[in-house]
Amino acid sequence: MKKKIGVYVCHCGGNISDYVDVERVRAAVEKEDGVFLAKTTMFACADSNQKEMVNDIKEMNLDGVVVASCSPKLHLLTFRAVSERAGLNKYNYVHANIREQVSWAHSDDKEGATQKAIKIVEAAIAKVRHAESLDPIKVKATNAVAVIGAGVAGMRAAIELAEAGSEVFLIEREFFVGGRVSQWDNLFVSEESGKELITRLYDEVMKHKHVTLLTGAEVVENSGSVGNFEVKVKITPRHFKLQCNPGELDKAIEVCPVEIPDEFNFNITKRKAIYHNYPSEYPQLPAIDMKNCTRCGECEKVCTAVDFSQKTEYRNIKVGSILLATGFDPYEPKKGEFGYGEIDNVVTLPQFKRIVHYSKDKLMYNGKEVKHIAYIYCVGSRQVDGENKYCSRYCCTATIHAAIDVKKKFKNVHNYHFNRGIRTYGKQEVLYDESSRLGDIYLQSFEHDPPIVEKVGNETIVKIKDILTKDQELDVAADIVVLVTGMTPRKDNSIGNLLKVPKGRDKFFNEIHMKLRPVETVIDGVTIAGASQGPKNIMESMNSALSAATKSFSLVASGELALEPTIAEVNEDTCEWCGKCDEACPYSAFEKIEKNGKFIAKVNPAICKGCGMCLPVCPANSLNLIGFTDEDVEDMIDALLPNT
Amino acid sequence: MARVNPEFTDELKKYGAFDPNACYNCGNCTAVCTLSDEENSFPRKMVRYSVLGLDSEIKTSLDPWLCYYCGECSKTCPREADPGELMMSLRRWLIAKYDWTGLSGLLYKSLAASITAFVVLAGLVVWFGAYEHFHLETIMHYGHLFEMFAISIVFTFILLPNIIHMWWLSVYKTGKKAPISAYFKAIGELIVHMFTQKRALGCDDNQFRWFEHFILVLGYLSLLFTTVFLDWFSTQSMFIIVLGYIESAVIFVVTFDFVRRRIQKDQEISKHSQPSDWFFVIWLFLMGLTAFLVRLFIDTNLLDANVWMYIVQLTVLVQWAMIIVPFGKWTHFLYRSFAMYFHRIIELSE
Repeated sequence: MKKKIGVYVCHCGGNISDYVDVERVRAAVEKEDGVFLAKTTMFACADSNQKEMVNDIKEMNLDGVVVASCSPKLHLLTFRAVSERAGLNKYNYVHANIREQVSWAHSDDKEGATQKAIKIVEAAIAKVRHAESLDPIKVKATNAVAVIGAGVAGMRAAIELAEAGSEVFLIEREFFVGGRVSQWDNLFVSEESGKELITRLYDEVMKHKHVTLLTGAEVVENSGSVGNFEVKVKITPRHFKLQCNPGELDKAIEVCPVEIPDEFNFNITKRKAIYHNYPSEYPQLPAIDMKNCTRCGECEKVCTAVDFSQKTEYRNIKVGSILLATGFDPYEPKKGEFGYGEIDNVVTLPQFKRIVHYSKDKLMYNGKEVKHIAYIYCVGSRQVDGENKYCSRYCCTATIHAAIDVKKKFKNVHNYHFNRGIRTYGKQEVLYDESSRLGDIYLQSFEHDPPIVEKVGNETIVKIKDILTKDQELDVAADIVVLVTGMTPRKDNSIGNLLKVPKGRDKFFNEIHMKLRPVETVIDGVTIAGASQGPKNIMESMNSALSAATKSFSLVASGELALEPTIAEVNEDTCEWCGKCDEACPYSAFEKIEKNGKFIAKVNPAICKGCGMCLPVCPANSLNLIGFTDEDVEDMIDALLPNT
Repeated sequence: MARVNPEFTDELKKYGAFDPNACYNCGNCTAVCTLSDEENSFPRKMVRYSVLGLDSEIKTSLDPWLCYYCGECSKTCPREADPGELMMSLRRWLIAKYDWTGLSGLLYKSLAASITAFVVLAGLVVWFGAYEHFHLETIMHYGHLFEMFAISIVFTFILLPNIIHMWWLSVYKTGKKAPISAYFKAIGELIVHMFTQKRALGCDDNQFRWFEHFILVLGYLSLLFTTVFLDWFSTQSMFIIVLGYIESAVIFVVTFDFVRRRIQKDQEISKHSQPSDWFFVIWLFLMGLTAFLVRLFIDTNLLDANVWMYIVQLTVLVQWAMIIVPFGKWTHFLYRSFAMYFHRIIELSE
């Protein structure tokens, strides 16, 4: 039990003291058992007060400290640091919140607020009496990182990690690297093509001997925790030998009888079961898509490199951290959404970009020349009724950029932008300027009154009540209607499920804190990058990839990790493994082990977050949370109960 | 339902419009324009119609005529889309649309056509002079006849039908049913604006320009009256002679100042000059100057020996009367005042 507790009650300017009589609070707790010192202070967080606290702790040998002020979210760490500077283990500090929980909440009842503040500080004192010095848990960390997804974000992160000195396993589910960016032509602002960017990143990836690139590879199992993950990777063979004669390959593709929609071109073209994405795809080796291959054997007859004997392999990899860069899926409009799937010249923006790519002298679609292009914005984004409430960020810029490109590539093309407010933020604003000066027409509507696409005779008409023209009804006869589809989370969330990475409101992977911890997840050691976290353009994806790489590296680089000691512990004497704690744990921190002739639960300290979910479900009450023991909490409750 | 026509701005640019497509609908022009009110977003509505190519909306609108080009919108426009010059171009475009002959549009859009017309008419006058063996009295006789015939023919066959066309588009077609009495009630509006351009006074910092323009109009109209009906060149009345001198001097002095401003481009209104603007001010200047000189030559007995002076004056007059008055910028004198008249009629019908 503590004998020399210091209590500081903060005015917070007047934020607290305008409603709570801080002097009465101080006087009330002064007499509590173990309280050696009780002070009020204008701003507890001010430098001067921090210095005073350090002196008090040192000079009076205080063994416990309580500050009654704002939310611990704001200043818990501040005062823990004060304790440490004074040579007192930081777990001897307890924070009492009398601003958010008292003065701000009860500004209409000063007397009641003061009474409540006294109780809250007394409870904090009750807790600090039991406080013990704790040391961080040390865990060994493997200096290796698994990067999932070899798109721009994944490759950038892999290069960065390898350069910093980590072993990197770059795991790509497809047979080819590059992800979505490889599907784009010209990109703003550098006017390089997506393919060029991918080539540069791929060349750099291949230069590093510490990067192992695995294509056709999927993580199928995961165990362990931060510092020591063990992942099992399933590697699907390409069914091609490394040496491949291009002439033979062309023949093999020609003879392959299987034709399926080519996802690389967003299904506007077809490909064979033997395929490569574009003439210089990476790795520069074709693959056979066994899901669609009929094993007719025609290709084997003309191409010696085809090898059906290759088998699926499994590889176990040990890494200290996992970086997720799994990207996004483009929104797939519902049948009938702005005529999609019903009117033949309604396409999505990704499809349109591929159509532009394949058109040579004239922009052609369905055998007809395209002169009038209507773009309908925010399809699948900023939905009023649907689930996708978010803005997909990249699409305004991508559309306007595509529109300018089209106008430059083909003569006499007219662009009509049916938007809900243009968001070409930052440097991209120049595109909006350029496009309007080129004569593009911008028509705007509110979300509850979207444009209407309909077929009238042979014409496809897009109608809008244009809010920029006093709600006048206007229409355009479009040769092609481009639905500007946003980004959605990957439909296949197998990796997210495997690692238990939580999703946010928008169903993308969720960070711990949007501003302060933007690339970490609540799963220690798992970081997120790129559009897997939410819509991002390439520049933003690069930023987050570098940031996630740095975070992952900082976890594994020193070979050792220091973790919070406030975790669950098992009373080995009373525990009889029943598995309830394991069911309740959101992080899978429990393990069933055999000890002293019986099965008991064991907590993995690197996984446990100290959330306490396991405590109430334990029928034998064999679990305790270090720093929040039953005794601590019971005493706190006693202190909070009305005086009898 | 109106169909968007992006090609309209290309057409409009031939009439001088700067870059209406640069507009991003911020509305600064409307905020600064004194003509704008809650009902009518001036001049943004016209900018928007131009960008969208809603030509039937523009054709039936009197708005371009209500603007007297103070230029505040162009100064305020963050995109340099130059709404003031757009309104000016719309007036040119409207003149072309009202003109049933289609010649206005041709002359506005083609400098070559304009120059050809000027040269052909000059050639005809010289040919006529030669045909009459440069006999001064005969030429002056026909010159005076021409003045009277030109006025009546141009008015009857060009200007009057065009004004009726303007009425058809801006009043009749918009479905405004005005009682006959409104046409009488509003007539004061027509007279006031035709002779005073009162509305231009409403534009900020414009008083001097308005005053210059006001005395120019008075000088021009009275010189027209003096030469045609008082027969200035042949009169013996001292009063009329002096009156003519003053009137013609007012014209060339004021127009000289207008030309100077267009060269110096010191005001928003004089920054952009289309060939039609140059023809208008220069020919008006020449009209005043040559008339002044002809009378001076008469009074100093020099004209008999210098028939060419009268030929020059007649050439300027013929070009003015056959090109600039019926198909050029002169028409704004009529359309502006009739726009105010029609506008008032529409107001009365509501």
